[in-house]
Amino acid sequence: MSDTVTVRIPTALRPQVGDQESLDVAGGTVGDVLGSLNTQYPEFGKRLYKGDNEINRFINIYVNDEDIRFMENLQTPLSPGDEVSIVPAIAGG
Amino acid sequence: MSQELERYHRQMLLPGFGEAGQRRLMDAKVLVVGCGALGTVIANMLARAGVGHLVIVDRDFIEITNLQRQVLFDERDVAEGIPKAEAAKRKIAGINSQVTVEAVVDDVNHTNIEKLATGLAGVGKVDLIMDGVDNFETRYLANDVAVKHGIPYVYGGAVGTVGASYAVLPHTVAPGETGETSWEQAGRATPCLRCIFEQAPPPGVNPTCDTAGVIGPAVSIVANYQVAEALKILTGNLDAVSPTMLNFDMWANAYKQFKVARAYDVGECECCKKRNFEFLDGKFGSSTTTLCGRNAVQLNMKSAEADSSAGGNGHRLDFDEIAKRLESHGNVTANKFMLRADITDNGEPYELTLFNDGRAIVKGTKHANVAKSIYAKYVGA
Repeated sequence: MSDTVTVRIPTALRPQVGDQESLDVAGGTVGDVLGSLNTQYPEFGKRLYKGDNEINRFINIYVNDEDIRFMENLQTPLSPGDEVSIVPAIAGG
Repeated sequence: MSQELERYHRQMLLPGFGEAGQRRLMDAKVLVVGCGALGTVIANMLARAGVGHLVIVDRDFIEITNLQRQVLFDERDVAEGIPKAEAAKRKIAGINSQVTVEAVVDDVNHTNIEKLATGLAGVGKVDLIMDGVDNFETRYLANDVAVKHGIPYVYGGAVGTVGASYAVLPHTVAPGETGETSWEQAGRATPCLRCIFEQAPPPGVNPTCDTAGVIGPAVSIVANYQVAEALKILTGNLDAVSPTMLNFDMWANAYKQFKVARAYDVGECECCKKRNFEFLDGKFGSSTTTLCGRNAVQLNMKSAEADSSAGGNGHRLDFDEIAKRLESHGNVTANKFMLRADITDNGEPYELTLFNDGRAIVKGTKHANVAKSIYAKYVGA
């Protein structure tokens, strides 16, 4: 049994993670997981983070189907198998 | 069954619909903001369903690259060069003559959106606002009007193979009080769009349909999901309205319904909780100046992101990224102060210049509408 979570990458950020739709990443909190992606893919991190410890406000992060802003934000704990979705505001139409 | 109802027989068979539901649709007034990919599907389906009065607003003209996904238009409309709102009105007249359509060819901005939603002659206050636009500035304006005047608003957005939709049944009073709308009385009010996305993506950050592409099914699914929510709202089936935000990527086969209810309870929304209508008040959003004698329009984009008093980080446009996206449209040059791109849109040549302070100049037109349309399509906001 793996102890990773699945991170879903939106289309706009896929070029910064080697064109992957999703990544399996280990980590106990949302901040751990996104932090390790930031280390591995700095160009991805630059688009996701606004400061050292803050996500850009036009991007939402959901764990399974809940918004982390209304749980414990980047401290929201994760269990193996959880799905972390990175969801930017979709503007087209 | 009376003759005027016969055509709606199949939908009236549905539970919760019936003749009473149909009569409500026929009495309903809906504002469709934007009549492109989303807007044509929305207007088409609402007209077929028998929504009695449609106000369709769009600033653009039809071009050949629209036909791949904008279902109300055809080659003759392109050849005749007619505005989208007028073409939609003409098509709907042949689809359902029971529907009255008010076509408005105009840019939607903070000076006219309240009138469109609440004070158009012969229409008055609409029952619903449908989102068919291609930029977040207009969406936040529609959201402001919806919350301020207690009008349901259904968001939709699509680009590439992804889409999102969400129905706002707005809170009309301060937290702790219960407003008089049917949805507040029924305990069905939902967070507004700004509860969910606090800020618009800064210009140039997100792909647009004109730079990254889009497939018809993505917009059709979003628009028809919006229409389903609209039918629930207009027929009074409020308990069926989704309390979640749809988000999908058809290419990754990922379909999600994100929970959003806590965004109102826990969040500190400027719009629906604090009742500051910043876009309607003109605090954020763009302003335009026609540059006399130069056949050019200057746009000034005031985003919350660039406003340091709003806690923004003074976002600067990423010229490298934008240059990459625009290369397939024509010659692009950039340095650290500005980017200049030649763009041919609907057969007309334009020169787009972006400055790193958020200003943009669109050369090749004297019309603010055209300049804003070019900016939304090729830079994005």
